[in-house]
Amino acid sequence: MKTVSFTLNGIVQHWEVTDGETLLTSLRREGYFGVKFGGCEKGECGACTVLLDGKPINSCSLLTVQVDGRNVQTIEGMGEHPDQGWKKTAGLHPIQKALVESGAIQCGYCTPAFALAAKALLEKNQNPSEEEVREAIGGILCRCTGYLKPVQAILKAASNLRGEEDEQDWVEELGLPLPLDWPSGADEPPSAGSESGSPERLTLTRRKVYMPRMFVTPEVRQKTLSRIGKPELKVDAIKLVQGKPAFAADMEKRGMLIAKVLHSPVAHARIKHIDLSKARALPGVAAVLCYKDIPRVVYSTAGQSDPIPGPLDTFSLDSKVRFVGDRVAFVAAETEEIAEQALKLIEVEYEPLPAILDAREAMLPGAPVIHDEPEYVNFGESNPQKNLAAQIHIDIGDVEKGFQEADRIYEAEYVVPKVQQAHIEPHVVVTYWDEDDRLVIRTSTQVPFHVRRILAPVLGLPVKRIRVIKPRIGGGFGGKQEVLIEDVAAHLTIATGRPVMYEYTREEEFIAARSRHPMRIRMKTGVKLDGTITANEMRVLSDTGAYGCHGLTVTGNTGHKSMALYVGDGPYRKSPNIRFYADIVYTNKPPSGAYRGYGVPQGFWPLERHMERISRDLGLDPIAFRLKNAIREGELHPFSTAWSEGREPRPEIIQTVGLEECVRQGKAIIGWDQKFGNPEWHIVPGKPHLRRGIGVALVMQGTAIPYLDMGGASIKMNDDGSFNLLVGATDLGTGSDTVLAQMAAEVLGTPVEDIIVYSSDTDFTPFDKGAYASSTTYISGAAVVKAAEEVAEKIKKRAARMLKERQPGIQVSPEEILLEDRKAIAPSGEYVTLEQVALNALHHTDQEQIMGIGSYYSPVSPPPFAAQFAEVTVDVETGQITVDRLVMAVDSGVIVNPVTASGQIEGGMTQALGYAVCEEMVYDQHGRARERDLVDYHIFRANEMPQLETVFVQTYEPSHPFGVKAVAEIPMDGVAPAVGNAVLDACGADVFENPITPERLWRALKEKQSAAN
Amino acid sequence: MIREYYRPKTALEAELLFSAGDKKFVPLGGGSALSRSKQEDLCVVDLRDLGLNRIEVIGHKAIIGATVTLQQLLEFDPIPLVLKDVIRKSATLNLRNQATVGGYLVSADGRSPLAIAMMAMDAVLIWHPNQQPQSIGDWFSLRQPRGFWINAIQLNLNLDVDYEQVSRTPMDQPILAISVARWPSGRIRVAAGGFGNAPLLVLDGPEDSGVLEAVKNALSDSGDEWASAEYRQAVGQVFVRRILDKSASSDQSK
Repeated sequence: MKTVSFTLNGIVQHWEVTDGETLLTSLRREGYFGVKFGGCEKGECGACTVLLDGKPINSCSLLTVQVDGRNVQTIEGMGEHPDQGWKKTAGLHPIQKALVESGAIQCGYCTPAFALAAKALLEKNQNPSEEEVREAIGGILCRCTGYLKPVQAILKAASNLRGEEDEQDWVEELGLPLPLDWPSGADEPPSAGSESGSPERLTLTRRKVYMPRMFVTPEVRQKTLSRIGKPELKVDAIKLVQGKPAFAADMEKRGMLIAKVLHSPVAHARIKHIDLSKARALPGVAAVLCYKDIPRVVYSTAGQSDPIPGPLDTFSLDSKVRFVGDRVAFVAAETEEIAEQALKLIEVEYEPLPAILDAREAMLPGAPVIHDEPEYVNFGESNPQKNLAAQIHIDIGDVEKGFQEADRIYEAEYVVPKVQQAHIEPHVVVTYWDEDDRLVIRTSTQVPFHVRRILAPVLGLPVKRIRVIKPRIGGGFGGKQEVLIEDVAAHLTIATGRPVMYEYTREEEFIAARSRHPMRIRMKTGVKLDGTITANEMRVLSDTGAYGCHGLTVTGNTGHKSMALYVGDGPYRKSPNIRFYADIVYTNKPPSGAYRGYGVPQGFWPLERHMERISRDLGLDPIAFRLKNAIREGELHPFSTAWSEGREPRPEIIQTVGLEECVRQGKAIIGWDQKFGNPEWHIVPGKPHLRRGIGVALVMQGTAIPYLDMGGASIKMNDDGSFNLLVGATDLGTGSDTVLAQMAAEVLGTPVEDIIVYSSDTDFTPFDKGAYASSTTYISGAAVVKAAEEVAEKIKKRAARMLKERQPGIQVSPEEILLEDRKAIAPSGEYVTLEQVALNALHHTDQEQIMGIGSYYSPVSPPPFAAQFAEVTVDVETGQITVDRLVMAVDSGVIVNPVTASGQIEGGMTQALGYAVCEEMVYDQHGRARERDLVDYHIFRANEMPQLETVFVQTYEPSHPFGVKAVAEIPMDGVAPAVGNAVLDACGADVFENPITPERLWRALKEKQSAAN
Repeated sequence: MIREYYRPKTALEAELLFSAGDKKFVPLGGGSALSRSKQEDLCVVDLRDLGLNRIEVIGHKAIIGATVTLQQLLEFDPIPLVLKDVIRKSATLNLRNQATVGGYLVSADGRSPLAIAMMAMDAVLIWHPNQQPQSIGDWFSLRQPRGFWINAIQLNLNLDVDYEQVSRTPMDQPILAISVARWPSGRIRVAAGGFGNAPLLVLDGPEDSGVLEAVKNALSDSGDEWASAEYRQAVGQVFVRRILDKSASSDQSK
């Protein structure tokens, strides 16, 4: 041990530390939870950024002893809540304020790092360029935002620190002009901090916020709403920007043990012999468990509603391992170091079995059977003897007849890779017994209620003795729609009686977590010479890896969403011919699972590359060809009568399709007409090896799962007229808590700050299926509206009575009362405040708790639509692609919060950009992963981003009280094919497999050249 | 795992540690690579107080102290602009603020851009004690220290250096990188990277004839899980041609 003396946030500290301890470990142990753990080994994520002598560094890769005599700053020293009762503070730092006001915070996990990096920059340079800002935060990975809003925030902070107002021309310089139209008709976007004037309101500043472009349909324009459509501050932004202990790992518990898992080094084997004795004997080890020590309960880790639409094929621990990274044993120890030492002491003898590492071999005769366990529970067509986890056969119309009627048939095979969600907060869970001997699971999950239900039998506990708490989540993107690690900590807590924390390293994220299903997809399309699609067929081979979690439903969506877009024209429009067949097979690779988009990005890569190739071959305009065949308003969703996730399919008419307007808006922004087909634009002057290209993809998604997804909400009124909104919905950084609060505020006539949102805790909040399937705004939002309407009704009744009591003789009925500006207002203008109503209800007359509860499930899944555009520059000698610009025009119905919604689009496009050019998970001949960190698995950094632009085309979806559709997943769908099509436009080379790596393109260029010769 | 940490105030104090012989002492630069070493029972000697964080220019040579950070080097005006861009590609700002040039070279592999450029520039490592010089090529081929720690890196500034890389995104690791250094004498030195455990010396000769063939030959065995040798050979030749063309047109404009 050494004593280290250093200055931390201006205060001299003397800490006792071990020589090998990192600064990150020391800081978090001392309660500086604003310094985050990203699980990385090479300092690539930057979540742990602190300032060392004023410069940003990674505290994970610095020994604490190295800071002796130096100056360290963390987010805890930067700013604090502006209003702390009688104590007045300086408030947030201007950089923190700018991050909050600009909507730069999504999950907030990397926000403290951004704030500190910006501080270091602005202390040196108060007038940085955008490029300099991007360079300054280039060491911090963010998977949510696409960096646009953090960059805007830092530029805004710089201008504020210089004492300048946010100028309009500065906004334009950033390429983000004001909305095309704004519902209120105002010239400027509304400033969220100025509407109430209430002194207690958490007003940061009167702000200007960078709004996405908005196109508003007449239906939307007619609606006069006060909270919906406004760029309200994110309800959790203030705590996240201060780095408050809001995440699962940000807690201390006396006697907490650290868990580690021994992962299999082989792809397929039986455990012949396992000896835990040496590990158990190691001082500091509290428990070591293998398959012999816990009950053998078969289950599925897929976080889905009951019954899970997939096979039950997983055990917490098994005597067989099925992929490199599969679980062999669990350890709980006093420290991480001891736990790691214990792992090394576990002796395992494996009996190797032949492995399947290529999905094409899974169903060959004689292939090794991966799931030969007798407990296996089939679902649907699954057949473990054939390594078949699921199978789908959908025929709509008469496909063969459609092919016969075609003038041309186009066939091609496309390949999409396995990719990682790469949320910056790794999977993390803490478990402990509470004072009532109930097991508490505090976990970073998208599905707290599914965690409780699914784990109960695995742990041998009834549901009622498990409480799942979901704190803030540092990104999930589907990766946390899996009951992935909660059982590890829970088993160890049961074994030891002590609290246990288990947190994945980044390597574990790559070798042991879930990822997007890789697929091999064969397209066959019949087309008439005028461009009418007569039949469209997609055949998929989907690799679910070693376990079948989400295998059926993900792959079902591959067809359900993408193949529904093009129904054909003329008579085919009424009776489309569509075929979708899929085999979902087991292999000895890490399991696939849910990843934002949920199978749909896999469908749109082949579909939209195929459409582009067909239109070019037929000499048709690629956009006109697509629109000619695309589904239209009032038409039947062709798959709605053929397939649904876990429920009987029922016919569904699509009510709103803003696709044509999306195309019009997107084309105008990117300058399609000036660039497409213009030979001069494709040339880069003075650089003959470079070629420019422009591409498009049209896409659609879904909004929730009809007849299945259910969300609940409850609202209660407090003495001061504020409300507690309790939702089971899980905000994983998307801003869903904020939009739910906006909906409640709209109904209750109150500012958003008066809605205190709590999500989610299985003991306190109503059930919600969780955050997936683009459902929260739509499903949970409708539940919130129902609950709020119940509360509003009670408020109005009481207000009418209070008004009559105050002024006998006045005629007022509850139905006439308007809730607005924290008041219940009669048509005469007489009013009582909500605070008066609350005090009356709670203390004065006929006392009651004014509260409401609502739940909602939907009979429909209204699809959002989008037109995605991309511009690229291609080096035709090396195959290097530079994506210069992405423009997405989205019909997501009414946009509840334009800033959080555009953040979703920007972040989604950025993830999808990785799918287009750099992200993939590759395995060697032994099933070992090539990618084990965020260096080899490269995700985009701030200083290499293309220009991102978003336009919302607001239709009014009649099935929702506020006309909303989903926004979260659709940005994942179109970028890769749009980039692929832009590459084709640039250089004529067709790449059938994404990501389009330099060598893949170089080979395609060579093929094109040899074909030409 | 680091068991012991020492921060000597003088070179003599540090020498005594390294001479002790009973433990495995390893020099510690910024800590960006070594701080989480999984090696058993490591004792690290922090060189921070030894005054090695300065850059001096003597004649045409820059003497870069081993504990100069990558960011310090980037901000050092006399170094060529190309090298600044290469440093940016080598590490993010957070890591550049922390990683030292000495530590970077010790832990570099074939995908380390600055190491590739320094290989082309024929950098020399100066070891302590005795100021033992070691060419960067020797270091990467043998990885045999010539002393207890690197005192400085000597870089010739009287040359033209250029660098090209292909990668999946602008800030990604190189799949292939080529760096070419040309001395006023006509000497040319070409290094390649983007694969393997160390940058590869392609050519060191008095002139550029045969350089395309040399690149092709040097990359004939470069195939790995990231790219085929065929691809690297082809692109390597493209890069060398581009760099030489650029250099020729720059010569003409002079």
